[in-house]
Amino acid sequence: MAVADQLELQLQHGTIIAGKWKGGRYRIERLLGEGANGKVYLVESRGRRYALKVGADAVDLQSEINGLQALARQGTPREEPFLVEVDDFRDGRGHEYPFYVMRYVRGKPLADYIAKEGPEWVPLIGYHLLMRLAALHEAGWVFGDLKPDNVLVAEYGRAQLVDYGGVTAIGSGVRQFTEVFDRGYWSAGSRTADPQYDLFSFAVLFIQLVEGKRLDELTRTLLPHSRVPAELLRLAEDHPVLAPARGWLRRALQGEFGSAREAAASWQRELHRARVARPAGSGPRWLGGLFVASALLLATTIFWLVR
Amino acid sequence: MKQILLITDGCSNVGVSPVVAAAHAQSEGVAVNVVGVLDEGDIGEYGAAEIREIAAAGGGLSRLVNTRELSRTVQMMTRKTVMHTIQSAVHNELRHVLGEGSIEALPPEKRSDVVRVMDELGEKAELRVALLIDASASMKPKLQAVEEAIKDLMLSLQARQGKSRICVFHFPGSRHGEDCRRLLDWTDKMSEIPSLFAKLHMQGTTPTGPALMQVIDFYREDDYGRETREERMG
Ligand SMILES: Nc1ncnc2c1ncn2[C@@H]1O[C@H](COP(=O)(O)OP(=O)(O)OP(=O)(O)O)[C@@H](O)[C@H]1O
Repeated sequence: MAVADQLELQLQHGTIIAGKWKGGRYRIERLLGEGANGKVYLVESRGRRYALKVGADAVDLQSEINGLQALARQGTPREEPFLVEVDDFRDGRGHEYPFYVMRYVRGKPLADYIAKEGPEWVPLIGYHLLMRLAALHEAGWVFGDLKPDNVLVAEYGRAQLVDYGGVTAIGSGVRQFTEVFDRGYWSAGSRTADPQYDLFSFAVLFIQLVEGKRLDELTRTLLPHSRVPAELLRLAEDHPVLAPARGWLRRALQGEFGSAREAAASWQRELHRARVARPAGSGPRWLGGLFVASALLLATTIFWLVR
Repeated sequence: MKQILLITDGCSNVGVSPVVAAAHAQSEGVAVNVVGVLDEGDIGEYGAAEIREIAAAGGGLSRLVNTRELSRTVQMMTRKTVMHTIQSAVHNELRHVLGEGSIEALPPEKRSDVVRVMDELGEKAELRVALLIDASASMKPKLQAVEEAIKDLMLSLQARQGKSRICVFHFPGSRHGEDCRRLLDWTDKMSEIPSLFAKLHMQGTTPTGPALMQVIDFYREDDYGRETREERMG
């Protein structure tokens, strides 16, 4: 975003980052991405790959880290920790930068994944994402800045959230958001962090994935006072992918789901109903894919259980 | 915490320098943020420099944006300035305690604790934002966006846990020779904002400095009023 102070630092392939406090050494492979709060690099350390985020501002980065640490404390012990290390380093010119090291999430940005693998993956990815949000909410946090850039998808539609800069304790003001995905922007409620806030963003994200162009046009042409959920729902009318999910979208946009878990269950049911409602073979391509998707869901679940 | 948010699209041209006025504000604990809105047309080198200097003197931030970015910018600046105010206070404390003023100098664990406290203060401390809107003729087509930005700011402030209020001034005032006029008194209610500028009569001059001085006065009176109220209560 234009408002943030830009991080000027550029780290080249092969550069060694040496932690000032903990002494960890990380070799830069390449830039993974950058955003308002800093740059994320793929790094290698003792034969393993990680993602390393360098911040422009020590305080901003630290509050992001605090969110991650709180999450880690409540995390399931089975999973390897997401946050690996927190430290500072000094560059060639003697300037110090704060950084943290996290698990490297192998995956494509959500929009790229759909573009390559096809929209029939949307229902499954959506389900994974809703379950991730449910876990976050049950730990007392809201993701906040949910948008396609912050979702990476690995094989078989396994979705992961990245960029925890917007993570906010339930009940506080959402720390960071992107207008189009913001409930307040659509006059659909407050900016106080609650599970429904994320579910609203999720619904817009879903619409954007499938009808990005029309959504873009809508935000460009609508006057602020006519930016309402009904306009978003209109995009779903008569749309082959969105129409079956219309009921679900309405509930998400109007904050009617009690929790992300409930929303996930309803997501499964509603998209399932859409599939069985039509005789096999006659539905549009993605509906056929939906069946494949649920079979795959089962397969991936078993895979993770026996691993 | 006290802030002034100045929204303008050009250079001041009457009265005391706005940079001097902003320095006054800063000395009384009021941070001054400045947004220059430029749609078509340019704000000019001189205008851009003035905007930068007002914010520098006022201990705040400055940005040049178009109307589409206004809401986002206003919201973000207010938030950043809240954090910045807290950060300066924390730096002073740290200097007292450790002889070392910077958060960066703390080891990660300590930094984590300090930032947690700062975030909590940022969420819970009382906040007042006085909006000062340039209502010179060239601003007319931008006032709709300004009003939207004010509502949007209110929405974000309402999500805070701490008490947050805004008030709105425009300059020049509506009467001839009036530097500045209050459109809206301290409020935390969205319902009081609509159609703020509907009946506004646009004028030619841009008395940015005098208008800033008037808002500082308003803050002074508000604080004084409070102190005496508290005295009477206690
Ligand atoms: N753990 C990770 N593994 C792999 N890639 C990652 C990881 N974390 C971040 N990235 C990539 O880096 C990009 C930028 O990271 P991130 O979103 O955290 O930065 P930011 O400055 O907070 O950005 P924003 O402006 O979106 O808030 C992400 O979009 C993602 O593509």
